[in-house]
Parts: sequence; C-alpha cells; structure tokens
Amino acid sequence: MLAGHKLNTILDIVKTSSKEELAWINGYLSGILAGEKGPEILEKPALQKKKITIAFGTETGNSKSVATTFAAKAKSRGIIPKLVSLDQYRLSDLPKEENFLAIISTHGDGEPPEAAKKFYDHIHLNGFTIPKMNYGVLALGDTAYPLFCKAGEDVDQQFQKLGAKRIVPLQKCDVDYEEPAQIWFDQFLQSFDDLTPVHVQEPGIIKKSAGKKTYDGVLLAKTVLNGRGSSKQTFHLEIAAEELDYQPGDAIGIIPENNESIVDEILSQVQANAQQTLVFKNETSTIYELLRSRLNISCLPERIIKQYAAIIDQPVNEIRIALLDLLKTYPMPQPQKFIELVQILEPIAPRLYSISSSPSAHEGEVHITVANDKFFYKEEQRSGLCSEFLSRLPVDTDLKFYVQKNNSFRLPAEDKDVIMIGPGTGIAPFRSLVAEREATGSTGRNWLFFGDHHFTTDFLYQTEWQNWFSTGVLTNISLAFSRDQQEKNYVQHKIIERAAEFFEWIENGAFLYVCGAKQPMSVDVEQTILKVIAEQGKFTVADAEQYLNNLKEEGRYCKDVY
Amino acid sequence: MSDSSNLSPIEKIKTSSHGLRGTLKESLQDEITGAVREDDHALVKFHGMYEQDDRDLRSERAEAKLDKLYSFMVRLRIPGGAITPQQWIAANHIAGDYSTGVIKITTRQTIQLHGILKRNIKPTLQDFNKVNLDSIAACGDVNRNVACSSHPNTSPLHEMVHAYADKISRMLLPKTRAYQEVWLDEEKIAEPESEIDPLYEDRYLPRKFKIGIAIPPDNDVDVLTNDLGLIAIIENEKLIGFNIAVGGGLSTTHGNPNTYARLASVIGFVAGEENVLKAVYEILTVQRDFGNRSDRKLARLKYTFDRMGEDAFKKELESRCGFQLEAPRHFEFTDRKDKYGWQQDHKKRWHYTLFIENGRVLDSEELALKTALFRIAETGKASFRFTSNQNLILSDIDPKDKAVIENLLEEFNLNEHTKNASAIRKNAIACVAFPTCPLALAEAQRYLPALISKIEPLLAKYQLNEQDIVLRMTGCPNGCARSYAAEIGLVGTAYGHYNLHIGGDRQGLRLGDKYRENLDEESILIELDNLFGQYKACRNENETFGDFAKRVILV
Ligand code: SRM
Ligand SMILES: Cc1cc2nc3c(=O)[nH]c(=O)nc-3n(C[C@H](O)[C@H](O)[C@H](O)COP(=O)(O)OP(=O)(O)OC[C@H]3O[C@@H](n4cnc5c(N)ncnc54)[C@H](O)[C@@H]3O)c2cc1C
Ligand SMILES: Cc1cc2nc3c(=O)[nH]c(=O)nc-3n(C[C@H](O)[C@H](O)[C@H](O)COP(=O)(O)O)c2cc1C
Ligand code: SF4
Repeated sequence: MLAGHKLNTILDIVKTSSKEELAWINGYLSGILAGEKGPEILEKPALQKKKITIAFGTETGNSKSVATTFAAKAKSRGIIPKLVSLDQYRLSDLPKEENFLAIISTHGDGEPPEAAKKFYDHIHLNGFTIPKMNYGVLALGDTAYPLFCKAGEDVDQQFQKLGAKRIVPLQKCDVDYEEPAQIWFDQFLQSFDDLTPVHVQEPGIIKKSAGKKTYDGVLLAKTVLNGRGSSKQTFHLEIAAEELDYQPGDAIGIIPENNESIVDEILSQVQANAQQTLVFKNETSTIYELLRSRLNISCLPERIIKQYAAIIDQPVNEIRIALLDLLKTYPMPQPQKFIELVQILEPIAPRLYSISSSPSAHEGEVHITVANDKFFYKEEQRSGLCSEFLSRLPVDTDLKFYVQKNNSFRLPAEDKDVIMIGPGTGIAPFRSLVAEREATGSTGRNWLFFGDHHFTTDFLYQTEWQNWFSTGVLTNISLAFSRDQQEKNYVQHKIIERAAEFFEWIENGAFLYVCGAKQPMSVDVEQTILKVIAEQGKFTVADAEQYLNNLKEEGRYCKDVY
Repeated sequence: MSDSSNLSPIEKIKTSSHGLRGTLKESLQDEITGAVREDDHALVKFHGMYEQDDRDLRSERAEAKLDKLYSFMVRLRIPGGAITPQQWIAANHIAGDYSTGVIKITTRQTIQLHGILKRNIKPTLQDFNKVNLDSIAACGDVNRNVACSSHPNTSPLHEMVHAYADKISRMLLPKTRAYQEVWLDEEKIAEPESEIDPLYEDRYLPRKFKIGIAIPPDNDVDVLTNDLGLIAIIENEKLIGFNIAVGGGLSTTHGNPNTYARLASVIGFVAGEENVLKAVYEILTVQRDFGNRSDRKLARLKYTFDRMGEDAFKKELESRCGFQLEAPRHFEFTDRKDKYGWQQDHKKRWHYTLFIENGRVLDSEELALKTALFRIAETGKASFRFTSNQNLILSDIDPKDKAVIENLLEEFNLNEHTKNASAIRKNAIACVAFPTCPLALAEAQRYLPALISKIEPLLAKYQLNEQDIVLRMTGCPNGCARSYAAEIGLVGTAYGHYNLHIGGDRQGLRLGDKYRENLDEESILIELDNLFGQYKACRNENETFGDFAKRVILV
C-alpha cells in the first residue's frame, strides 16, 4: 500500500538498524498509533535498577541490625533493597524473588528464631521451586552451642534444593559477627555487580572468632525467694564482677559444671582411667576434666543416642537421657569403646538467665533469678543441671559468665509508659527495668503484671515492689496467684479485668514487655492482648493482629520468652 | 477529762472513721500486701480482729525479700461463753477452712481463730454469721465479751443470771452497721439516724471495757479483775440484785510506775434488772466522759476511778442513774477452779467439764481432741460452755443422753486425759504470747506445759501434788492470763525470763506481789523448790500456798 519511495526509505532504515533500534522504532510507531506521543524523537530508555530482598530472622536483634546496615550499604550502591523480617515476609513471593539475602540466627538447640519459624518450615516443604532466585545466607550463631549456626545451614541447603542459585558462600558467624558479616556482604556485592554471577560451591570457612567477653564473677549472696511451705524454690543470686557492661533486658550465660559424684559413678561404671588425656576442640584435657566441665552428660539428645546405639550396636529407644542412665540401661559390651563415646559427646551448652539487677542501681553486680528446674526421670525427682549447679554453688566462689545482649528488649525513652508482664522468673528483667527507671528518674508510668502459685510464699521480691509502689515508681501492680482459690487465676485474667485501662495505656504509646515461660504463658498472654485490642479498639481479629504487628514493628511489643 | 489538744492518735482515728468504716473496703482491695492500711489497723479491732504476723518467720522472710506473714486473729463475741453444738460444728469447719485449724478458748469464755489471711476474713465472718455468731466489739475501745460464771450447777438461778450477760452485751453494742456492710456485704441503709450512738457517740470509750458476772461462791470469772464486776446476790432462792464492783484491771507496764494491777472495789448494791442495767450503762458513760484520752496506758476505768476518788465517782454515777446505790450485800467466794468431770444440776441435767490445756483445741498424737469434740457436737446432745480458765463444759445433757457422751469421752480418752492431769496443771492458765501476739516478750502457752512437767516433781517431792495451787503465766505484763491474780504468777520480761509473783489468794480477792525478777527456768525451779519446802514445813492447817506466801514469805 505504501508509495514506492516511502517503502524504500523504510526498508533502508530497517536494514541499517540494530535490534534495539528496531524495537525502539516498533515501540515508537505503536505509540503513535495509540495516539499518545507526537512525532518528536524520544531518547533511549534507561536501564532498569536492580532490586534485592534482605530478609532477617532474629531473636535478640543481632540479625536485624546486620540486615539494616546491609540495606543502607546497598542503597548507597544504587541497589533498591527491601528490608523485611521473616515473620512479616509473604511466603508466596518466594518464587518471584530474583535476589535474596537471608540473615538468620540459631536458637534453642539448633532451631531458628521464633520469628523465622513459619518461613523455615515453609521452605522445608517440597512441591515448589524458586529457580529465578540468586541468594546468599549469613548465619549468626555461637560456637559455644553444639549445633553451630544450624538454622543458617539448613536455609542455605534448602534454597539449593529448591533450585535457587547461591551467589555467595554461606557465612557462619560466631558471637563477634560484625566484621565477618561486612566482609561477606562486600563479597556479595561484587558478584552482584558483574552480571554473570560467580559460582562458589564450598561453604564459607568460619572466621576464627575472638570469642565473647567472659567475666570472672564471684558469687556474693544467694537467697531463696520463696517462703516456708512453698513447693517452689527460686534463687536470687548476686554476682560481683569487674568492668561489667550490660543493659536492662540482657541476660547472662553460664556454663554449668557436671556433678562430681555423677562423673565418678560414670567412670567406675565403665572402669575408665580418669587421667587419660584426649583432644577435644583442639585442646588436650583429661577424661575427668572433660566429663566434669566440658561435655554434656546430663541430657543427651537423640542424635547422640543414635550414635551410641551404633557404637554398642544395639537399638536404644530413648529421645533424651543422662549419660549415666544410658550406660546403666544399655551397658557397653566393651568398656574400651568408652573413648569412642566420649569423642561423640557435645559441649555443655550455656544456660541463660535474664539479669534482674540494674547497672545504675546495683553497680558492679549482676543479679539473676533462678528457678530450681525440677523434673521426673522415671519416678525419681531431679533438678536441671544449671539450676541445680547454681543452687549448690557456695557463696564467695568464682563463677564465669558472659553477657548475652538482647537488643530487642530495651527500655523506651524515659517519659514513655511501660507495661510489664512477667509471671514466675519472668519477673527478673522487670526488677532490672524498674530499678533502672528509678535510678535514672524516668517519668514514664510503670505497670507490672506478676503471678505465681501463692501470695504468701511466692510473691518474688515482694518487699521491693511494695517500696516501688509506695514511692510511686510503680504505678500499677496486678497480681494473679493461681493456687489461692478454687479456679485458677493467671496474669491474662488480670489483663482482662483491667482491659479498658490496659488498652488506654497502649493507645497512649505504652511499651509492652512479656517475659517468662514461652509455653503456655506467652501464647495465652498474646491471645489475651489481641482480644483486648479487638474488644476495646472495636477491631476485627485481622485488624487487631495488624495492630499488634505494628506495635512489634515499632519495637513496642517485646518478648523474652523461654 | 483530758483536753482535746493532746488526744492520743487513736482518738482521731475513731472520730474520723465514719462509724468504724475507715478505709476497710479499700484495704481489702490492696493486693500487694496482706495487711490493712495503717489507720484500719486500729479499726479492725472494733470488728473483733487483730492484725498479726508470724513472729517466728520475720527474719527469714525479710531475708527472702518477702513481707511479714500478715494474718488476722478473729475473736468471737459469746456473752457468758455458751454456744450450741451446731455453732461448734461451724467453728470447727471454719477453723479448718480459713485459719490455723486450732480453736483457742480464751480467758474470757470465747474462742479465737488465728492465721486468717486478709482475703479469708469475709468468708470467715460470713460463715459465722450463718450460725448467728459475730465478732462485733470483741476487741477495741468498747465493752468486750461479757463473762459470767460458767457452770449451770452453781445455782438454780444460774440461767437467770447468765441471761444478763447477753442482755448487757447487746445493750452495749455499738450502733454502727459497719460490720454488716464491710464484712457481710449488706446494703448501706438509707437513714443514718439509725446509727446515732448515744452511748459511744463517735469517740467510743477511752479504752477497752470489761464486764464480768459472778455467782458466789464461784469466782471462776475472776470478777474483780474486770472494769465492772457484777456479783449476784441471791437470798432465799431469789435473785435480788447485784453488788457493783468497779475499777478492776491487771495490766502494768514494765518501768512505768504509774501503771498498776488493781482489783475492783465493791461500791454498792443495786436491785432489780432495770436499775442494774441502768447502772451498768451509766458506769460506761462516766468512763466515756471522764476517762483519760491522751495516755492510753492510764485510760482504763481503774485509773479514772482512783483519780476521781470513790465518792466523786459514786456521786457522778448516781446523778446519771437517778437513784442511789445501796450498801453492798454480804457475799463469799470459795474458789475459782473448774469443776472437772461430771456434775448434775437442779434440773437433773448433766455437765462434763473437760480439761483443755491452755484452751487450745487441736488434734495431736496423744489426743484427738478436736475430732472428739466434733463428734460430740454432731450428736447434738450437749451444748458447749467455755470457762474463764480456758476449759470446756459439755453441758445441758439430758440424763438419757449421758451415756452417748460418756462413750465418746471414753472412745477418745478425754476422760482419762482430764482425770490424769495433775492438780497444778488443771488449775494453770497461760496466755497466747508467741508466735502471734505482737506484745509478747516471752513464751507462754507454748512453754508452760513443759515447765509444769518440771514443777510437778518438786510438788511430789513435798507430797503437795494434791494441792489446787493456782499457777498462771503471761508472756508480758499485760496479764491476759491474770497472772497477777494467782498464787504463783509468772510474768514475762524478756525471752526466757519471767518475774515471779506470789501471795495471791485462791478465791481471787487478793493480788500477788512481785517476789523475784527476771528469772530463767533454772532459777524459777530453784525458787519454787525452796518455797514449796517452806510451805510444806511451816504452813498452818488447810492454809493455801497463796495465803502462806503472803503471811510468811512476803513479810
Ligand atoms: C486471748 C487472750 C489470752 C488467752 O490466752 O486467753 C488475750 C490475748 C491478747 N490480749 Fe489480752 N487477752 C485475753 C484476756 C486478757 C485479760 C484477762 C481478762 O480480761 O480476764 C487481761 C487482763 C485484764 C485487763 O484487761 O486488765 C488482758 C489484758 C490485755 C492488755 C492490757 C490492757 C491494759 O489495760 O493495758 C492488752 C494490751 C492492750 O490492750 O493494749 C491485751 C492485748 C491482747 C492481744 C490482743 C495482743 C494485742 O493487743 O495485739 C492478745 C492477742 C494474742 C493472740 O495472738 O491471741 N490484753 N487480756 C484473752 C482473750 C480474752 C477475750 O476473749 O476477750
Ligand atoms: C533468654 C533466656 C532467659 C532465661 N531467663 C531465665 C531466668 O531469668 N530464670 C530462670 O530460672 N531461667 C531462665 N531461663 C531458662 C534457663 O536458661 C534454663 O533453661 C533453666 O534454668 C533450665 O536449665 P537447667 O540446666 O537447670 O535444666 P536442664 O538440665 O537444661 O533441663 C531442662 C529440662 O530438660 C529436661 N531434662 C534434662 N535432663 C534430662 C534427663 N536426663 N532426662 C530427661 N529429661 C531431662 C527436663 O525437662 C528439664 O526440665 C532463660 C532462658 C532463656 C533462653
Ligand atoms: C537461647 C539461645 C540459644 C542459642 N542456641 C544456639 C545454637 O544452638 N547454635 C548456635 O550457633 N547459636 C546459638 N545461640 C547464639 C545466637 O544464635 C547468637 O547469640 C546470635 O547472635 C543471636 O542473633 P539474633 O539476635 O539475631 O537472634 C543461642 C542463643 C540463645 C539466646
Ligand atoms: S499477756 Fe501479753 S503476751 Fe500474753 S497474750 Fe496478752 S499481750 Fe500477749
């Protein structure tokens, strides 16, 4: 249909144009046909900016702070970062992800942080792939624990399984994670810049860690906080140490020793030579030394039990058991194999205790509040290793510990209100918070929810709360003693009783803190808080959940549960 | 009258208490403490309670950062000390549910429950209310539980005289309905006029006020130790009236020379119920208006009476009564001891007096006392009468029911228990003292039984074991077990130490005198050994230990 000269011009242009130019002309013409643009020349469209998702799973805030610095760095490099906490991450987005960084710590016995649980479980489901994804995993952990950075390892491997492309090796960080984290991120950025990703298969080597600062403490005082006739035994320990550095909300980590008599029994059980030396974690020490203060013999996990079954090669059906009980119930046919057994044992994991003292009020000391952790093995009542160790520890003896920071459990500005929910030993950090607020003259109001078995015997730190209440430092105190009446009465019931006031405090910007038993307390309390928000704020369930999420985001809903 | 400028703090609390309500309701809401608010501490007494704490646990709880173990002692108002078996059953259950479980029979014929936690006060008082028992005015600056000779076989007129205890008690109750409102959750009634109290006004009395009624020749109530003693005068089987005795009171304060123990002075005789009640009422108004309201240590009627002088006091009283007191009538007391075992009265009803050491009813390895009494109450065949010697009379038993009770007494060994107790033990009383009494300086009821076991051999040594010597111990000089009115009185001065008083008579007409100070157990036993020795050697025929001590030792 075109007149000959026109046709020739076009054919000429087409012949002499590159692919891109043709595409552009194509777009240009279709633009004209769509009647948008006038016939003026348009410049070449800019190249698309790169996007990256930086997702973190944190318990005590370290992974979050790392992720945040990464995001800032990325921006400055012209990359568009999406910073998200794994509990906020929309799982259905995974297959669409092109560039994905996971920064995740390990908690419990090699488990992911509470907030990363949903994500962690999701990627362990099969039946979907994420081939588009280029990823890298940074694992935070602590070599003091048997399963170092386990959660990070798992995420890294699962991503591979799901078909994602690893563009930087997995980096496992010990407690001094900042530096290795930065190096790792720079490495990532390189491979990210040039468009053909480097394929590094072997996992990143653990950077030798300078370790954490251990304090040489001395036990100053120890008292039982429960009155006569109580079924409970809660110890208040005061520990002195030099150059202490902690904040309210932090915990201390203690590595307990095993009970001497049990070690002796084990040794005689297997007729082992206590003085024989072995290499453990590239240090040589005697078997006695190892059993006494290095190796976990009080509660072997299933993974160790399996290995033991292999050694004595006969089935052992236990999920967790103390070494001595194991040796008694499933004796070793050849005692010389004991060395083999010792080699597979894991280090004693540290136990954490929320600090119940305040740096400003109790200078040079940390206080902790330790419940004697009783349990039954068959019909026999026993106590947990560390709580028993501490309960036996004489005053004036040395006690090593380290400070476990908790950046996601911090006091707000001094004029902000605080609601503290801490039944049982959950009260520990709140003694610290309130003592700190008193010492620093904070003006914000303080409301404590506490509960335990009986008013007369189990009101932990009663006289101190009374003083704080009478001086006005403590504005409200709501108490729930579960066994003083027929029907059980818990902190959540107290929250309901004063729902209106509770909600009004939150609306006023109060910060919410929950500390103590993860199950069932923290769950029930959270349900109750949601209920109160929904009822008082006239919200739907979904909106109430959003409301609570926002509080979390703003750091106004902090949990320290165990 | 004391000028209002230096009124004791308690006076202010009373007058500003809105009829003894204070902030009691708020106090009950305070979750953080087991105690009531400071001012309410004084007010709960008017409701028959004392705030206490377990003194044994003080230091260990302080160490544990726990507050004192606060609890409340509830003292019932039981005029003349008689209750029904149903009421005893209730008390038994309430003690088990809310208190230490021990039922304590007091030296004023009522019962106390200890260790009641704040949150359990209401249930306790509400459960008592269900069986028509209350604790109104059992403590505080009001008329206390009215005591009356306990044994029905004292006289055919016992019932008639005994009825006075209840009449007087009711006549002298405060008019405020605070008790019903605060503890029984009853509605606040509209018209406050109903609470206008012509007797107590809004200031109540300057101090506690005690009334006792005796039916000679029995003086088991120790009538002359009361602020007001009424001595029944019976002439040819008729109750013609009462001798009026005023100004009794035993308490002293160590190192305060202005305080003293005193027996009441018989100031006259009044005939006819109406006048007797009038006289009683006006004696309270005189004390209300003339009593010392600035120094509580000198506020009891005995001090008012001595300050005014007998004549002035009598004049004031007579002008308020509108009639003259007649000259006192002759009367005679023979003794104060309980008549243990079975006794029959003029109506042929049976009564069994049971020995209860220091009035403490509980089950022990040796004796299932509490269970036994519960079982006896369940038969519904015996009513319960408490004596001023902290014992119990299972009374008003129909002859045909005697066997039932007898069998239970045998089944639980109570008869044996009463029979086998030595004379000195059966005539002894001790106050509560540790661990609940905040004023205790030394042990009493927890210690006296053991001490007696060491005194018994001394008496045996001189073949004096049959003697009904009256021995009384108190943990401090307040004299709750009337230790000043005893033949041997031990008055606590410091932990493990006692003053020894001797020379009181057996009938309760003469107080003893302080003979030795601050004795520990060893010295007490040495002193008694030597006193018993002299008594054995030099007493006149039938001379009591008290009379001997007065005649020979104290001169
Ligand atoms: C239970 C009882 C002793 C007993 O073992 O039976 C008793 C127990 C107490 N007496 Fe008493 N008194 C008891 C009969 C007496 C008697 C004897 C009597 O009344 O026949 C006296 C001496 C007579 C007199 O009143 O002078 C007596 C004089 C006192 C005093 C001194 C009063 C004074 O004039 O200074 C006090 C202290 C006070 O009132 O300040 C006192 C105070 C107390 C208190 C309430 C201590 C206190 O004030 O906190 C004791 C409670 C201890 C406890 O844990 O139970 N009690 N008190 C008696 C209860 C009687 C009743 O049922 O009402
Ligand atoms: C952040 C954080 C803060 C904490 N704060 C506090 C605090 O302030 N106060 C406090 O008291 N605790 C606190 N804890 C808990 C504390 O760290 C310990 O977990 C607790 O003291 C129990 O340790 P244990 O060594 O005494 O008991 P363990 O020996 O660790 O035993 C724990 C449980 O394991 C089981 N078990 C152990 N051995 C055996 C066996 N041989 N056979 C079968 N079952 C077995 C039992 O159920 C036992 O109860 C906190 C924990 C965390 C994570
Ligand atoms: C209760 C608890 C258990 C832990 N267990 C492990 C573990 O099993 N393995 C490990 O490598 N690190 C473990 N750690 C160390 C944490 O992973 C490490 O402190 C990390 O820096 C926390 O990062 P976060 O603040 O982002 O949660 C544990 C820490 C805590 C508080
Ligand atoms: S005499 Fe003293 S110690 Fe004994 S009960 Fe009375 S006040 Fe308490």
